[in-house]
Amino acid sequence: MRNNKLRSIYLSLFAAFICILFPWSGIAMTLRPDFMLLVILFWLLRAPNQCSVGTAWFMGLWVDLATGGIFGQYALAYTITTFFAVIYQRRLVLFSSTQQLVYVFSLLFLSQLILLILKAFAGHEFLGWSYFLPSVTGVLLWQIAVIFGLNTGRHSHGS
Amino acid sequence: MMRGIHQNFDQQQAPAFFARGPSPLARLTFFTALSLALMATDSRLQYLADVREKLMTLLHPLQVIANAPSRLYESTDEYFSTHHYLLAENARLKKQALTQDIALQRLDILNLENANLRNLLQAKQSLTETSILAEIIHVGRDSFTKKIIVNRGRNHHVITGAAAVDAKGVIGQVTRTYPSSSEITLITDKSLAIPVQIERNGLRAIAFGHGRDNTLDLPYLPANVDIKRGDRLVTSGIDGVYPAGLAVATVIEMKTTQDSPFAHIICTPTGGIENDRQLLLVSIPEIKQETATKPLATEKSKLPAAKTATPAAITAPAVATSTKPAQSQKPVIAEQPAPTPSANVENRPHAQQ
Repeated sequence: MRNNKLRSIYLSLFAAFICILFPWSGIAMTLRPDFMLLVILFWLLRAPNQCSVGTAWFMGLWVDLATGGIFGQYALAYTITTFFAVIYQRRLVLFSSTQQLVYVFSLLFLSQLILLILKAFAGHEFLGWSYFLPSVTGVLLWQIAVIFGLNTGRHSHGS
Repeated sequence: MMRGIHQNFDQQQAPAFFARGPSPLARLTFFTALSLALMATDSRLQYLADVREKLMTLLHPLQVIANAPSRLYESTDEYFSTHHYLLAENARLKKQALTQDIALQRLDILNLENANLRNLLQAKQSLTETSILAEIIHVGRDSFTKKIIVNRGRNHHVITGAAAVDAKGVIGQVTRTYPSSSEITLITDKSLAIPVQIERNGLRAIAFGHGRDNTLDLPYLPANVDIKRGDRLVTSGIDGVYPAGLAVATVIEMKTTQDSPFAHIICTPTGGIENDRQLLLVSIPEIKQETATKPLATEKSKLPAAKTATPAAITAPAVATSTKPAQSQKPVIAEQPAPTPSANVENRPHAQQ
């Protein structure tokens, strides 16, 4: 059971990484949700023992490598975001599905905000509000996954 | 549905409640410190370049896997392209080849003439560039920077600093090389500046990327500068990075305001920065030895200098070799002062007569 879960964690993280590696361009690029953070958040809520801040940091390093930016930017953003995810994780049980959506959205927004601040330190300009669109699409993706029964528990028992 | 979630969480959390390892705050502090240290090391020191390179080689197979669906789609799309479309394209390409053949013939003659003239003047021979055809694997994933990754790397003799050029003009510069891929920073990136010359009057300037949209800026030029809408910018070749005379951009807007001593000039790149797939990586070899040793004695191969570059180079040598009288007012090129003394010598006998 535990091994199965661990395997599915690794597989899903790997799949998210491949999704990031896709040759995105144009409008899809601006709309592209942060697959990696979504998967990490999902596992943080579902399996907090196997997936924690360290996992997020490590995967953040790989995303840093893929984006070609300075090492540690995504790692830091993911670390801080997952910290907030972890400390509110137990409270999430009591949340309704809309509350949960707001919570996920604010986490995605937070990670983008941290990245924006880090980029601002590096001398980049603000790209306009469309920069935050991935948070919106990310939450939509989350909701679609919930509708298709991702959170109902069938997934983890099956695999 | 909700009840299912609750039950599931309860099941998982109960045993996990007591054995959680270090507290989240401790983990946060540790990993934040670690990432801050990494960021400082990577941006200020060069230690991590090797590590990045090794990891990139590791990443390359994944890259290929991720690119596979779009590759497959493209190849099937090409396979099923219509007969009519292919015929039209064939006709267009034939026409293009014809015009370029004519231009190339003229180029050969001009090159010969140029080599002879340079011999006469004992000027340094222009360098022969090497070029490598590369294909874009993917556009950068970071929306703050304008970067692309191409499928040629150090194994194919790509060097850092080579210019990236497509059929219409310069599009960027190689900033990082990996064994089988390399990273190109586009000229529209904020961190890239490119020395240019106005094709019309030979005025030199430096074009800066904007980072946000697909435009270039020409800052620090006085308000009365002789630049008009539609002026073409070509590389000046002074930096020793870009071969001289490649098309870079076209001026689309030239504004002067009362409160600023500088003109506000905006240009769009001529190269298909956003839409082309193939590009050439042009590098000038042995540039350091060339400048370090005696400049006159070098005998480089004369003819095929510009031929290896793109068709854009055909229009370009006009700048370097132009003999317009209007130009003599400004010391544009090093060879320019040469005609003036000889003109004086010629004039004197006339005056005495």
